[in-house]
Amino acid sequence: MSFEFLEPDRAAPEMGFEPVPASVLLPQARQAGGRIDVRDGWEVAVEFGSSEREREACAAGVGIGDVSWLGKLELQGEPADVAAVAAAGGAKEIELGRASRGGDAWWCPFSGRRVLAVCEPSRAPGLRNELVAAERGAMTVTDMTCALAALALVGPLARDVFARLTAIDLRPDHTPEASFRPGSVARIPGMVLRERGDRYVLMFGSAYAQYMWTQVTDAAEPLGGVIVGADALAAVGEEVPAGA
Amino acid sequence: MSFVLTCPNCGAREVTDFEFGGEVVPRPRERPAERDLAVYNYFRRNVAGVQREWWYHRAGCRTWFQADRDTRTNVVQGTWLPRDDA
Amino acid sequence: MTRLDPQPGERIDRDRELSFEFDGKPVRALEGDTIASALYAGGRRIFSRSFKYHRPRGLLCCAGQCPNCLVSVDGDPGVRACTEPAREGMRVRHLNAVPSLDRDAMRAVDTLGGPFTPPGFYYKTFKRPRRLWPLYERVLRRAAGLGRAPEPRDERGWRTDYRRRHADVLVVGGGRAGLAAATRAAQLGADVVLADEGPEPGGRLLERGSAERARELAAGARDAGVELISPGTAIGLFDGLAAIWEHDTLHQVRAARHLIATGTIEQPLVFPGNDLPGVMLSRGARRLLALYALSPGRRAVVATTSDEGLEAANALREAGVEIAAVADLRQGTTVVEAGGRRRVRAAVLARVDDAGNPVAGTRQTVGCDLLVVSGGAAPAGSLLLQAGGRTEYDPASAAFAVVDVPDGLHAAGEVAGVPDGDAIELSGALAGADAAHAAGCGDARSRELAEEPRRELDRLASTPPPVAEPPAAAGSGRGKCFACLCEDVTAKDVHTSIEEGYDSIELSKRYLTVTMGPCQGRMCQLPAARLIARETGQQLESVGTTTARPPWSSVPLGALAGRPIEPAKRSVLHAHHRELGGNVMWAGDWRRPYDYGDPDAEVRAVQEAAGLIDVSTLGKLIVSGPDAGEFLDRLYPNRHGNLKPGRIRYGVLVSDAGRIIDDGTICRLDDDSFYVTTTSTGAEAIEAWFAWWLADWTDLRVTLTDVTQALCAVNLAGPRAREIMGRLTSLDCSNEEFSYLDGKRARVAGVPCLLLRIGFVGELGYEIHYPVAHGQHLWDSIMDAGRERGITAFGLEPQRVLRLHKMHILVGQDTDSESDPVASAMPWIIKLDKEQDFIGRWALEEFAEHDPALRLVGFELRNGAVPHEGAAVVASGDGAVGRVTSSRYSRVAGHAIGLAWVPRDQAEDGAAIEISDRGTRMTATVTTKPFYDPDGERLRS
Repeated sequence: MSFEFLEPDRAAPEMGFEPVPASVLLPQARQAGGRIDVRDGWEVAVEFGSSEREREACAAGVGIGDVSWLGKLELQGEPADVAAVAAAGGAKEIELGRASRGGDAWWCPFSGRRVLAVCEPSRAPGLRNELVAAERGAMTVTDMTCALAALALVGPLARDVFARLTAIDLRPDHTPEASFRPGSVARIPGMVLRERGDRYVLMFGSAYAQYMWTQVTDAAEPLGGVIVGADALAAVGEEVPAGA
Repeated sequence: MSFVLTCPNCGAREVTDFEFGGEVVPRPRERPAERDLAVYNYFRRNVAGVQREWWYHRAGCRTWFQADRDTRTNVVQGTWLPRDDA
Repeated sequence: MTRLDPQPGERIDRDRELSFEFDGKPVRALEGDTIASALYAGGRRIFSRSFKYHRPRGLLCCAGQCPNCLVSVDGDPGVRACTEPAREGMRVRHLNAVPSLDRDAMRAVDTLGGPFTPPGFYYKTFKRPRRLWPLYERVLRRAAGLGRAPEPRDERGWRTDYRRRHADVLVVGGGRAGLAAATRAAQLGADVVLADEGPEPGGRLLERGSAERARELAAGARDAGVELISPGTAIGLFDGLAAIWEHDTLHQVRAARHLIATGTIEQPLVFPGNDLPGVMLSRGARRLLALYALSPGRRAVVATTSDEGLEAANALREAGVEIAAVADLRQGTTVVEAGGRRRVRAAVLARVDDAGNPVAGTRQTVGCDLLVVSGGAAPAGSLLLQAGGRTEYDPASAAFAVVDVPDGLHAAGEVAGVPDGDAIELSGALAGADAAHAAGCGDARSRELAEEPRRELDRLASTPPPVAEPPAAAGSGRGKCFACLCEDVTAKDVHTSIEEGYDSIELSKRYLTVTMGPCQGRMCQLPAARLIARETGQQLESVGTTTARPPWSSVPLGALAGRPIEPAKRSVLHAHHRELGGNVMWAGDWRRPYDYGDPDAEVRAVQEAAGLIDVSTLGKLIVSGPDAGEFLDRLYPNRHGNLKPGRIRYGVLVSDAGRIIDDGTICRLDDDSFYVTTTSTGAEAIEAWFAWWLADWTDLRVTLTDVTQALCAVNLAGPRAREIMGRLTSLDCSNEEFSYLDGKRARVAGVPCLLLRIGFVGELGYEIHYPVAHGQHLWDSIMDAGRERGITAFGLEPQRVLRLHKMHILVGQDTDSESDPVASAMPWIIKLDKEQDFIGRWALEEFAEHDPALRLVGFELRNGAVPHEGAAVVASGDGAVGRVTSSRYSRVAGHAIGLAWVPRDQAEDGAAIEISDRGTRMTATVTTKPFYDPDGERLRS
C-alpha cells in the first residue's frame, strides 16, 4: 500500500488552489541568488548566474546542487519480498553496499529488509505504481521523496568536500562507482550515493536542509566550490550511466 | 574513545555513528517476582571483559544489532543482526 | 643582519627579504626564516619570561619542543617562534612580561626568592581571607600564565577544518626512518600518509647540513605515492584515530596500521643557571647554524653525556665558533653552574661524584656566551605509549625506552632504540614493509625479502654508542636548577614536594605541574624522574614515567573545535516564520517560533477565533503490517488493536520499569496501518525504541517507517476553524461527519493531507499532516482563508499556556525519568485488564497496588503571583515535599494556574498547598479538573 498524503505529486488544482511542490532548499537557493523556475513539475533553482561557469566547476572543481526533488521510494518487508518487488520496478540485484541501476532508478539497500529507490521526479509516480502493484506479503512501499533532502556533489574535488564532513571511507577502491553508503555526515544521519566518477548524491533528513546546506557550502568554500542549478546538473548528467 | 564498529548492514563506521543500547538482557517470558523484576530493570553485570551488547546504527541503516565487545579495550569481536542469531 | 656564509641545505633565501613587527618594532627577515631565527639574526637573545619567576629565557631547542620562545602572533597566543615561519606584516608580541621582555618588573618574584616560591604557594597563601580571592585571582592571573586568550571573533572569523583521511599506513615522523618506511610501504602498494612536524621532512638530517639527502628521501616518498602532511604535528592517537594538526586543518587519519618514527628528544642538563639565555641544546645550536646560517654564539663551552655534543662542537668550530672547553661526562666532567644575569657569561666545569657534587679542587670557570648542553636522547614515544606501550628504563642510553609496541603499531628509527647511523633507514624500510604486509599489501615474495635485512639490522643495532648517566642535579646545591622550564619547577621544589608527601611521579606531576606545561614532558619527564629517584632512593625503573596522554603537542583550542557544527532541525516553514516575526528558540534539536511577538494575543485568538501553529516537529511513525495492532498492544498500556480505521486514541509509552517515556496519538489508517505521533523531542528515541522491540519480537510481521521529516504538520484551532476548513476543502467537516478523534484523508487547498481532529489547546481543532514540498503553500492558503476570521499564527509559548489550561501534562516538563502514569494523574490510560502482556505491565501492577507518595495535580493561586517553575511545595515545617512543574498566568481565570507534585494527602480538590518560591511563601488551592472547559465541550463542538 502507499499513502497519498506522503506523495507530493498527488496534489492537484482544486477549489481555486494550484499547488506546486517546492524543494525544501528553496529558501537557501533563493538567498544564494538562484533563479527559480519549474522543472519536472517542481519549483527549483535552475541557475546561479552562469550555467557555463557552473558546468565548469563540475568538470574541474566541485559543483554543489540541490536535487531534493529526486523521487525516493522506500520498500520494507521480508528480504525475499523486497527483492521481488524491487525486481518488478526494474532492479537487477540488491546487494548491501551497492547501488544498482535499473528501471531508471538507483536501488539502494539499507538492509535486506529495507531498500530505497531513487529516481528522477518524472519517473516517481510510475515507479510507485509498479511497486505497489507488485506488493506481496507483509510489506510496504512508502514515498519518502519529502523525507529526504538531497545535494549533488559533482567534480574532482567532491571527495575532498566529503572528507571535511564525514568519516565514511570514500576512497575509490573502498567506495567504487555505484555504491551506497549510509552513515554520519556532518554529525547527522546521511546517505552517500556514488553514482559514477565524481558524481555523488548526499541524502539527509529534510528538516536538516538549511543546516546541511550551510555545512556543505562552508566545507566547499576553501576548495572553490560553486553552487550550481538544476540546468547545469542536467547538462552534466547528460552522459547517463551505461546501466540506465 | 573513537573505535570502529562494523554494522552488519553498512560495514565499518566510527562509533559515533551508533547509539549504545546496553547489555543484552532478555525480557522475562513470565511475570517475574518483584525482586527479579528489579534485577531485570535496574541491575547490570557491568563486566570488565567481553560482554554482549545492543547497538543501533542511528546515523546509518537504523537497525539494531548485537556485538561482543571487550569493555577494557573496546575491541569488538563480532557483530550480527538478532534475526540471524535466532 | 649577521649571517654566516651560505650553509649546505640552508632554508633561507638571501635574495628575498621581508619584514614583520615584534613588540611594535620592525624586524627584517629572509624568506625561509622563522620568527625566532629572524629575531636571533637581529641580536635578540631573550625570547620569553618564565611562567612564575619571570626569568629571562632564550632559544633552547629551536625545534618546537620547549616553551622558551612562545609568542603571540596576530593576537593568537602560544605560538612557537622557533618553528613559525616569518611572514610579511605579521604582528608578533612577547607573552608574560611587564612592561617588556628586556625589563620585566615581575622579575622581583625571582630575586626576592625565598618565601614567594615554594610549590603550591598560591593555594597555601591566598586562600584567606576568602572575600579577597577575586582580587588575588585578578592579580595572579596577570602575573602567571602564558599569554592572553585571543579576543572572541566572529563565528566564521577563524576557522579550522576537520579533514578525514583513511589510509593503510600512517607514518608519524619524517626523518630518515619515517621516509624510508613510508616509501617502502607505498612501494608494496599501501595507501600511505606521512606527517612530519619539522619545517620540511628530513628530521635530524636537516640540523646536520644533509638537507640534500633529506630532500632526496622526501622526493622518493612522494614518487612512491605517499601523501606528505608537512608541517603537520601528530597530537594524539585515539583508538586508532590519529589527529594531525596542520595550520588550519585538523587531519583525522584512520589508518589500518600506525608507524611511529618520531625519533628522540635531546635532554637538557640540570645545574644552577641551566635556564639562562645562551644555554642551548646541541641540536638547537646546530639547527640555527644549518637551517638559518646563524652563529649561535662566539665562544662556546660544550657539556655532553654522549658523542652528540662532540659532533656539535666540531660543527660549531667549522662554522667559526671558538670552542673554549668541552666537558664530557663520560670522562667525569660536567657543567656545575652557569654564570650571568641576563644571559650566560661563564660556565663552571668540574669533576662530579655520582650525586653531582663537584669534586673539591676541580672547579674551573670558563668565559663564554654559549653553553651547549646535551644530556642524552629520550625516545619521543608518547604516541606509542598513548596506544598502550610501556616504558622501561634503559641504563645504556640513559633514558626510558619504549617496550611492548601495541598491536596495530610499528616503531622505527631512534624512537625504537635503533642507534644513529645506517641502521636507521634500514629499520624504517623494514617497519614499512611490516606495516604494509599487516595492512594486507605485498605478497609472499615481499614478505620473504624482508627477512634478510632484519638480520642485518640486528647486527647493526647490537652495539649502541656509550652514553653517561647524568646526575639528577649537578652543583653544590646553591642556585636554581630547573627541572621543568614550562612551569618553573626547580630541583628544590621536587625535594619539597616529596617532603610534603607527594612522593610518586604521578602525585608530583599533579602537585608541581611538572610535565603538564606546553612541552608535555619532553624536557622535564626524565629530569623529574631522576630527581624523584634521588630524593626517594629508588631506582629510575621503579619511579617510572607519567601516563602519556594527548595532546602530545600544544594546539590552539580552535584547531580542535573545527568549524561551527551544531545540527539543527528546522521546519520547512522556518524561513517563513522568521518573515512573520517569529521569535525563534531551541526546542530539543529543533529551532521553533516561541511566539510571534504577542503571546497573550495569540492565546486570545485561539480561544476566540482561530490560530495556526506549526507542529511539524511532532514525531510521526507509520506502523504497518498484519501484526501492527498486536505490536502496539505490546508497547502501550492501553489498547490499540481494537481501534477502528479512521479513529484516534491517545497513548502513553512506559518503560518496563513503569516510567513514562513519551506520549502521543495513534490513528488507525486502515486494517494494517497505524499513524503514530510522538512528542517533538522524543521522536528519534521512540523510533529507536520501536525498532528495538521489533528487533527482539521477530515473530511480528511489522514494518516501521519514520515519516517525521516527510510531513509538515499544522494545527488549526479555535471556534472558527471549521469555517476556515470549509474554504479549503470539499471534505464534510461537520461535527457529525468529522467528529472529535476522527482521522480523515482528503485534499486541502489541493494538497493530499491526513487530517486528525485532535488538539491539545482546548478548542475545536484540526491537525493537518501533508508533504513538506507543499509546506508554505498550505500554510499560506489557511492563513489567507482565515484572515477575515481573525486567524493568528501562534507559537510554542501560547500553546503551552493553552495546554496548561486543559491540564495536559508535558512529558519531560511535568514528568521526569521517575514519573509513572499512576502518579501522573493518568491511571485511566493503563488497562491492566488487557489480556496480553505489555511493556511496563509488571511494574504498573506493582504501582497500582500502592498509593503513590506524590501525585501530579493542578493548582490555582489567587494572590496575584505566578510561582516559578521548580518552586518547592513545602510541608508545615520547612522541608520541600513536592514541586511546581508548570505555571502561567491565566487571562480567563484572572490568576495563576499550574501543575505541581504534591503529597498524596493533599492531592484532592480544594486542598491547600504551601509553595515556597525564592523566599516567598504562598498558599495555593489544589484542583484535579482542567482549568478551562473542564468537560471538553468546546473541544468536541
